[in-house]
Amino acid sequence: MTDQNSLITELKAIVGDTYVVHEPDDLIVYEYDGSVDKGLPLAVVLPDSAQDVSLVVNAARTHRAPIVARGAGTGLSGGAVASEGGIVIALTRMTRILEVDVENRIAVVEPGLVNLELSNAVSGHGLYFAPDPSSQKVCTIGGNVAENAGGPHCLAYGVTTNHVLGMEVVLADGSIQWLGDRTRESTGYDLRGVLVGSEGTLAIVTKVILRLLKKPEAVKTLLAVFKELDDASAAVSGIIGAGIVPAALEMMDDLCIEAAEASVHAGYPDGAGAVLLVEVDGLSEAVEEESEEIQRICRQFGPMEIRTATDAGERERLWAGRKGVLGALGRLAPNYYLVDGTIPRTKLVEVLARIKEMSVESGFPIANLLHAGDGNLHPSVLFDERKPGDTKKALEIGGRILELCVEVGGVLSGEHGIGLEKQEYMPLMFSEADMNAMARLKPAFATGDLFNPGKVFPTGASCADVFQAAVSKVGPGAWI
Amino acid sequence: MVERVFQRPADALGEITNHNDAYSIDGLQPTAVCLSDLQGLSDALSEAAKDGLAVAPWGGGTRAAIGNRPARLDRILDLSRLSRIVHYNPADLTATVEAGISVAELQRHLAEQGQFLAIDPPLPDRATVGGTLAVGGSGPTKWQFGHPRDLVLGMKVVQADGTVVSSGGQVVKNVSGYDMARLHVGGLGTLGVIAEVSFKLTPLPQGEATLVAAFDSTTRCLAAGLAVFHSVVTPLALAAYDAAVDERAHVAPVKGHHLLAVRLGGRPLTLQRALRECRSLCHQGGATTVEALGEADAVAAWRKLADFGWDEATAPLMSARASVPPTKLAEIVETIANGDSPAALRCETLCHVGYGTALIHWFADGPEPPTHAIAEVATRARKAVHAVGGRMNIERCPLPVKAGLDMWDQVGEPIAIMRRLKEQYDPGNVLNPGRFVGGI
Ligand SMILES: Cc1cc2nc3c(=O)[nH]c(=O)nc-3n(C[C@H](O)[C@H](O)[C@H](O)COP(=O)(O)OP(=O)(O)OC[C@H]3O[C@@H](n4cnc5c(N)ncnc54)[C@H](O)[C@@H]3O)c2cc1C
Repeated sequence: MTDQNSLITELKAIVGDTYVVHEPDDLIVYEYDGSVDKGLPLAVVLPDSAQDVSLVVNAARTHRAPIVARGAGTGLSGGAVASEGGIVIALTRMTRILEVDVENRIAVVEPGLVNLELSNAVSGHGLYFAPDPSSQKVCTIGGNVAENAGGPHCLAYGVTTNHVLGMEVVLADGSIQWLGDRTRESTGYDLRGVLVGSEGTLAIVTKVILRLLKKPEAVKTLLAVFKELDDASAAVSGIIGAGIVPAALEMMDDLCIEAAEASVHAGYPDGAGAVLLVEVDGLSEAVEEESEEIQRICRQFGPMEIRTATDAGERERLWAGRKGVLGALGRLAPNYYLVDGTIPRTKLVEVLARIKEMSVESGFPIANLLHAGDGNLHPSVLFDERKPGDTKKALEIGGRILELCVEVGGVLSGEHGIGLEKQEYMPLMFSEADMNAMARLKPAFATGDLFNPGKVFPTGASCADVFQAAVSKVGPGAWI
Repeated sequence: MVERVFQRPADALGEITNHNDAYSIDGLQPTAVCLSDLQGLSDALSEAAKDGLAVAPWGGGTRAAIGNRPARLDRILDLSRLSRIVHYNPADLTATVEAGISVAELQRHLAEQGQFLAIDPPLPDRATVGGTLAVGGSGPTKWQFGHPRDLVLGMKVVQADGTVVSSGGQVVKNVSGYDMARLHVGGLGTLGVIAEVSFKLTPLPQGEATLVAAFDSTTRCLAAGLAVFHSVVTPLALAAYDAAVDERAHVAPVKGHHLLAVRLGGRPLTLQRALRECRSLCHQGGATTVEALGEADAVAAWRKLADFGWDEATAPLMSARASVPPTKLAEIVETIANGDSPAALRCETLCHVGYGTALIHWFADGPEPPTHAIAEVATRARKAVHAVGGRMNIERCPLPVKAGLDMWDQVGEPIAIMRRLKEQYDPGNVLNPGRFVGGI
């Protein structure tokens, strides 16, 4: 206890009393992230600079207290869940945009900056930051980097790693180093590249150099409604097969439609079994030519209706149903377990049919929301945690969906990460030797078990045990 | 499968050939073994590790000159027969291939399905997929599609002790486990041998067109390139080269002091519009001529631009690759190419505008200048690049120059992490010892 007190005293000396949270009541807000796990830290520290972070790291290391970095805490795989008795470094004070180099289309930012605020800030220059996770109004750039976040518009423009040029990090020995720089090619090993997506286990990111894109001249959104899910899936394959890579290509099934209809009154026709949302952007000619081709392909699969929009307000209305789904699922069941896996795009029909079978067999409704263009599925298993045993069953169904994804040549996570949620599933995809090779990054970064210990790699515990409860704590305005 | 035929080195599958100059690296002539499957590769590596041999993986040998002189080299592992397409599903726009397949052969298969891999290294008939990734180099098409590492979805690597490990997957969106392939792209085979790669593919554009514009100064030419970079048009590639490059390689039938080539793709109306925009940007930028190339000329021009400096006809005395923020290109080209030089070398440059890459080639018109003078040229160029916040690696130079000059630019403090990576994955220093940064 005295040791804990002395650590807290040291932390206060570094960042000031106000920025060390350690009273149990105050710590509760930091106990969770967007996933199902929780853990109570000894203290939460809010540094204001890389120097602060470095000193905090040194203090924690000396006291052998594990460190978990935290952005907005919207992560869905438990990455920001604290280690019991450890330190949380919350980067939410470090939100500055340090530089915008319009000519070179580069921004240098602090990790606590909220994703959307970057795009808003550079919008006047005709630029934007491409990765747009659905949580972009709240999630941080640091969290995006750590999870290698994606978003609906990553189909054409790539996920976070494709947009990070360099970063300043604090290593476990307290040193502050730059990995990568302002240029596109690197010398030596691409350490920047392995750090992106390493879920806070290798270093703490304190500055990021990001690539910005120029805003397209024109954007067009198409919404196609189908009676059958299979037809929508076939249209997706048709679009990709025709050599079109739209900016976004999203899909939702009947349950999602029902929920969206009930909450945001999207005006989908009765009996709609699937909605496809496609966005194309670029030169106005390209937008016209591609959207015509997309409509032609959709028509081959007998859509109930196709709507299009080019002005921002109209487009937003077409997206409304899609964006409202997650919040709306609450109307269908008290809880849902959101699964994230990717499959080869050509397996969509097969996998969705098998998920349907699982749902029928188990009696648990499953609502499917998909970043269909890149084969990234988000099936949500609906359940009621008050019914004894149902939470466990829902989690087991999630596990079976992941097994199915891997079985058809896909992967365990498309964008939410492994964290605590999926660590026990890693052996489905990777051999001992594969994981051993990955784990060796820790000694190479000399991380020891200081940063985010016990995550990403399997511990041997059974999956369902790892979760306490499967209550997604996302607000009504949220969308995935 | 290991065939025991013993003929030319490349046919002698599984057999160890004598020292011969077919596989020379920096004057060293190791023994060689040609492998045709993963098991053979794994066995060859574990044997080498046991015997304490130093090995170098070998693809097409097109870029064997890259890197510092090996500290030791006993055996070449020729992977050019490890060349199967393991899996290709055009509808998924993904393919998994063995590392020894040549880039050109892969592109031929993909083109039959209207697709391509957006990597265009020099000499693609010989350059293998694995070798191209290991040196991390690509050509002008990276302008739109990014660095080769951004196209890799997953990778199978054989580690120094023969262990086969996989990372990533075969789908286009994946965050399961660490993204290990990043270490091997540009890692020069020092942490493991790339054996199999899964790629993200791109549909071939419906139509293509190439414009070449001529300017009377580097500054104007590169400024026009940047204007395209900032415009509503997103070209497939954007390259600036000088008249000397054109004289040497006969890039295109458009002549001028400083040339800008813009490669555009798309459906018919899109292409027309993009052409119109780029033409007018070039004219506004002071172009003396702007011409669209015919199809065959365009194909040839992009091939020559990607090959420049690596084929026999254009092989320079020394080459460097500088990476700088895009707006700084003109400044370094001016300083390096047009400044006075400590040796009588002719400097010719080729820039990937917008991406910030300058390929700098030096040719000796007369007799080869003394080693120290060549090294001084490189050192000054590097200084100029540092001054604008960039980095410069030397990709080829006369062997004696290598002795006193690091081919790699400084990587700063992270060198400690890099050294520890090497200790973790290749503690016996089996793989390409001494060729990489910081003596790794
Ligand atoms: C409603 C909703 C929608 C979502 N939609 C998407 C989506 O479309 N696409 C997508 O990819 N994800 C999505 N997510 C998941 C989540 O928003 C992303 O993973 C996001 O990148 C996390 O950012 P954060 O700031 O909340 O990070 P946190 O949850 O705070 O942390 C996530 C991980 O990053 C680490 N970390 C945070 N900051 C740093 C740092 N500075 N240095 C090192 N490590 C750090 C943490 O330790 C943790 O491991 C969604 C989540 C919700 C709740």
